[in-house]
Amino acid sequence: MTKATRAAAVAGLIALCVALVAASLLIGTENLSLGRIYAEWRSGEPLSKTPALSILINQRLPRTLVALIVGCGLTLAGCSFQALLRNPLATPYTLGIDSFGAFGAYAATIYGGTGGWLTFQFLGFSHVQALAFAFAAFDVLLIYAMASRKTRMAPSVLLLAGVTLGLLASSGILFLRYLAKPEQLINMDRWLMGGVDVIGYEPVVTLFLGVTPCAIILLAQAAKFDQLGFGEEMAAGRGVNVNRLQLTTFLVCSFMTGIIVSKVGPIGFVGLIVPHAVRTVTGSRHRILMPASLVAGGAFLCLCDILARKLMTGETPIGIITSLIGAPFFLYLLTRRRFTDWET
Amino acid sequence: MTRTLQAQDVAFAYTPPLDVFTHVTAAVRSGEVTGLVGPNGSGKSTLLRVLAGLLRPREGKVLIDGRSSGHMSNRQRARILGFLPQLVNPVFSLSVFEVVCLGRYPHLGALGATQPHDRAVAERCLRDTETLDLRDRDFMALSGGERQRVLLASVLAQEPDLLLLDEPTSALDIHHQIEIFALLKRLAGEGYGIGVVTHDLNLAARFCNQLFLLSHRSTGLVAAGKPENVLTEALLSEAYDAPIRVCRHPLTGAPLITAEEPAEVTP
Ligand SMILES: Nc1ncnc2c1ncn2[C@@H]1O[C@H](COP(=O)(O)OP(=O)(O)OP(=O)(O)O)[C@@H](O)[C@H]1O
Ligand SMILES: [Mg+2]
Repeated sequence: MTKATRAAAVAGLIALCVALVAASLLIGTENLSLGRIYAEWRSGEPLSKTPALSILINQRLPRTLVALIVGCGLTLAGCSFQALLRNPLATPYTLGIDSFGAFGAYAATIYGGTGGWLTFQFLGFSHVQALAFAFAAFDVLLIYAMASRKTRMAPSVLLLAGVTLGLLASSGILFLRYLAKPEQLINMDRWLMGGVDVIGYEPVVTLFLGVTPCAIILLAQAAKFDQLGFGEEMAAGRGVNVNRLQLTTFLVCSFMTGIIVSKVGPIGFVGLIVPHAVRTVTGSRHRILMPASLVAGGAFLCLCDILARKLMTGETPIGIITSLIGAPFFLYLLTRRRFTDWET
Repeated sequence: MTRTLQAQDVAFAYTPPLDVFTHVTAAVRSGEVTGLVGPNGSGKSTLLRVLAGLLRPREGKVLIDGRSSGHMSNRQRARILGFLPQLVNPVFSLSVFEVVCLGRYPHLGALGATQPHDRAVAERCLRDTETLDLRDRDFMALSGGERQRVLLASVLAQEPDLLLLDEPTSALDIHHQIEIFALLKRLAGEGYGIGVVTHDLNLAARFCNQLFLLSHRSTGLVAAGKPENVLTEALLSEAYDAPIRVCRHPLTGAPLITAEEPAEVTP
């Protein structure tokens, strides 16, 4: 692919993202028109008297922003894990982060709630969110501990360890379900399907403050990820501090995905398919791949959120939609020759 | 700038106390091609990694121009020392030119953007390794030998003063083997210092100024010095634990080395 077509593709990607954000703001149970919003805005009436503007500001905007931030964060984490573990399947989800977070949330729901001993608020996190964060971050740190042992584990082995941890957490979830009261189950299971249907700006602010610095740090590692693509020895010979890169990536990704999972629950496949789809357009230089994936990830989750609102009357959980789109799309990508590249 | 990379009395063990080698003293100097030879598993790659600063020796010191290389930042060291591993398994699909540009990493700014100067260096290194015609090919789609030459180009693009190359010609045809060794000799003439691991004793005999012969039988050096002093039947037979014959090459006059067939085993 020539430089010009590549630039055009990136420009198209950005345009698509802007279009999807706009669509996400206007489409919903009640479709809003730009004309109506403009008229209501010009009228200068308070929000209580301008229904369209009120929906836009109180519901659509925070929700769209959450989808954007979460999509950006998950995609960047996926991209980073794939580079670090040198494996196309490495994502927060396949490393078991989401399952661990869900386990934490289930535990908190059972032992917390009205009258439970585990009920608290901490920095705007409910006990459910705090425990989801703690368990999600714990999963990544556990994998990092295995990665940084003296006898180093091969990256593919680390991925297997992550998958196994995820399965362990899933069994834990089943056990907690068995212990739970039937009326608790509904809330729990809804949490497991993920959702960006927030109301108000509190989650937006938390996510923005949590994800932005992490994203900047990860983007700054792009050139190092390129080097790592040719193996740890080659990267080290070129002056990359591989141990520090590993520590940085694991810490930052654990914090970032921990926050995301705690706020919106598990949302799979975003970190898997978006970087791979983008890679086919931009090539594999992380300096281009990572920012492009960031934009595409945000756009993709906005699209999924529009579908979540429109697919059925009422809300479809977004985690279901990302999986239903993501799995077949990934199978399609797998059948393409490009993937033989990844044999290690 | 003339440089000396020295290993002083080093010992290394992956799993202590099992030493790969002990009491090894070796040097790579500007203006010379230094060969590391020895049988499989004798520790050639390990010694090269120790010299490159990728492994910390259990005992002894590694010095660059007389100063401990441990005090340098990885980046500083990468500008002085280029290292080509024996096995490279890339996972990303990149063009040949992009692969060679990756070699510029230690010279680039924080964002890793290549400038016109960096791309010119990459072009020159492609030309030096006769890979310019592969420039826009997918690196993954190259043959083993083509890959090896492109990787050598990417290490050259790093523009270090000293090059440490682990079997850079193991996959090359008879013509390109000579081409690469001739290139190494030319680079040494231009002031580079080159440390090269090879199994081809005949090429080593022809192109190296200094040889270090390693063997696991003595967990360390069997011999060091000029090729004609190291490549003798006695020393080689000891190092390889097999009968090795040395004669003169009729055309070049360099030592010509062959291993004898094992004696027939009579039941
Ligand atoms: N990463 C490692 N961990 C543990 N032991 C290792 C490791 N790498 C090499 N060894 C062992 O150290 C010894 C020396 O290995 P090294 O790779 O240096 O040999 P070599 O001389 O380069 O061999 P070859 O000619 O086959 O490349 C061997 O016995 C090998 O089994
Ligand atoms: Mg070796």
